Amino acid sequence: MLEKLIKKNNVTIYGTSSKVMFFVHGYGCDQNMWRFITPHFKDSYKIVLIDLVGSGKSDENAYNYDKYNSLKGHADDIINICDALNLQDVCIVAHSVSAMIATLAAVKRPVLFKKIIMIGPSPRYINDADYFGGFSQKDIDELLETLDSNYLGWSSAMAPVIMGNLDRPELAAELEASFCQNNPEIATHFAKVTFLGDNRNDLKKLSTDTLIIQSKTDAIASIEVGQFVNNNISNSKLVVLETIGHCPHLSAPNKTIEAIKNYLM
Amino acid sequence: MDYKEFYNTFPSGFFSSLPNGTIIEANKNFLELTNYSREEVIGKKKFTDFLSLGGKIYFENVFAPALKLSGAIEEVNFNFTKKGGTKFPVLVNSVEIKDISGTHLYTHSVVFNIAQRKQYEQELLKSKKYANEISNRLTAVNKELRSRTKLISKQKLQLEEFNQHLENKNRQLSSFAHIASHNLRAPVSNLLVLKDFYKENTDLKDKAMLFSKVEIVIDRLNETLNELIESLKIQGNKNIMYNAVTFDTVFAKTLAILDIQILDSKAVVTSNFCEAPTIEYPKLYMESILLNLLSNSIRYRAPDRIAQIHFRTEIINNEIILIATDNGLGIDLKKYGHKLFGLNNTFHRHPDSKGVGLFMTKTQIEAVGGSVTVESEVDKGTTFKIILKKHK
Repeated sequence: MLEKLIKKNNVTIYGTSSKVMFFVHGYGCDQNMWRFITPHFKDSYKIVLIDLVGSGKSDENAYNYDKYNSLKGHADDIINICDALNLQDVCIVAHSVSAMIATLAAVKRPVLFKKIIMIGPSPRYINDADYFGGFSQKDIDELLETLDSNYLGWSSAMAPVIMGNLDRPELAAELEASFCQNNPEIATHFAKVTFLGDNRNDLKKLSTDTLIIQSKTDAIASIEVGQFVNNNISNSKLVVLETIGHCPHLSAPNKTIEAIKNYLM
Repeated sequence: MDYKEFYNTFPSGFFSSLPNGTIIEANKNFLELTNYSREEVIGKKKFTDFLSLGGKIYFENVFAPALKLSGAIEEVNFNFTKKGGTKFPVLVNSVEIKDISGTHLYTHSVVFNIAQRKQYEQELLKSKKYANEISNRLTAVNKELRSRTKLISKQKLQLEEFNQHLENKNRQLSSFAHIASHNLRAPVSNLLVLKDFYKENTDLKDKAMLFSKVEIVIDRLNETLNELIESLKIQGNKNIMYNAVTFDTVFAKTLAILDIQILDSKAVVTSNFCEAPTIEYPKLYMESILLNLLSNSIRYRAPDRIAQIHFRTEIINNEIILIATDNGLGIDLKKYGHKLFGLNNTFHRHPDSKGVGLFMTKTQIEAVGGSVTVESEVDKGTTFKIILKKHK
């Protein structure tokens, strides 16, 4: 059972601490995106990394289109992994769409999670009445086209990086691995589920302590969206980083680490 | 070489940007491609300003993380927007330039216009989609064909079964015709002769004797007719009821029915059904088969020795076989083998012989799809082997 789960979500675990940090990557990436962050927490936390089913090195065959037609499918996977590994008081760090996956998991099983750290969350990308998500259906169609036309690019160009070289990240470039080499059909489906979804109502049901890390300039999840998330969670705190881009944990790892440490202290 | 000249005359677009995306240098080709003046771009525009919103999502979620993680990225297809709004497809390679301490200073990117190649690519994509569609349709047709083939094989199997059934029926009919022509004709011609005698004879005593003979023949004729009707019932029965039959139970019942005969004959009857103790079989047939075989063995026991009769089951090739062995009179199979299972064929000048049982037995066995064979030696004994049910 455990072995199957580990294969299904390509679960990586290291560290012996009883405190757990559970990292979930966002759309288009995999667990490699945490490699600037995790070395700074591995001494005081047990680190758990996963690839969402359909991403990275997860078991592609486990991608059931019905189950993953909603983010709930991924949330259930996270709950199952926590149960199977007997994890408690988990601090879950989730980027982008996974912030909503973590929200759904914590609403369903609040006792499992002690804290949620969201990086660049958005409960809805499409504009809706007086809500400004930043995108229209047409923009998402363009994204899908870009996905389509980069299918070939994905299979060869994305540079190789793998885990296991946390202390010497410069080695990573030499290693053969896949980054963002997702099955195009699954990537398209996951893009639709991610960018066409609406989880605004789920935020209100969340009672877990939450930190929102917001990049000052983020084309995907704007600062207004970050404030919306903060205003709709009962127990949350918003930290705006002086950074640009949707992945501050990659472009400004030190600022991100500092924000997380300040929050956890 | 004048590198500045080289940079500006290079036949594809170049630009350099800061970690925050702001473009700090661009070559002539890039400016021509995008239709902007140098002043409009340098220090003012970012990489993502040339992308549509959909392209930006891809840039932020896939392109930027990959570039950050590995320091370089190649052959990513974006649609760039020219001044004025026209779009054109490009391929982008980017590399991060860092100082010795690893701090990211700027990013160099090269931009290839692929408008013509893109058209070709789109045609290829279209063909690929079309091929996929055809492949899907073929798969569907194939599936349909397979399901039809399955149906046909099923129908074929049913036909074969039906054919088997017809063949059986045919055999039974021809056997029945044989019986009708021989076994009924004999007593009828007997009766005709007796009738003539009776008419011609005037002696009352003789007449009475002849009439008693007529009575005997009529009784036999009636018996034969009843048995024929009984066997027709078996043959005509299409919906045979199957039951869970325990050999030991049915055999005990048979022994009880033949209690007196067994006592009279002092026969030693034994059985062992361990190897196949039960079977799904019509219970009435099983009772009748065991009764016929056992009563035959008792009836045709050898008078000079104690009758030993043994019933057992075996499983051979997945089939349950019933084996009945005796040390009785035996039958000369060379002489009578072909007639063994006919109606009213008797092979012994024995007072009880009626030659009914084996015909019934065979009919019942075959009605369930089984078969029967016999091994025998005169004055040594007989063994009946019955394959109760053919395995399918």
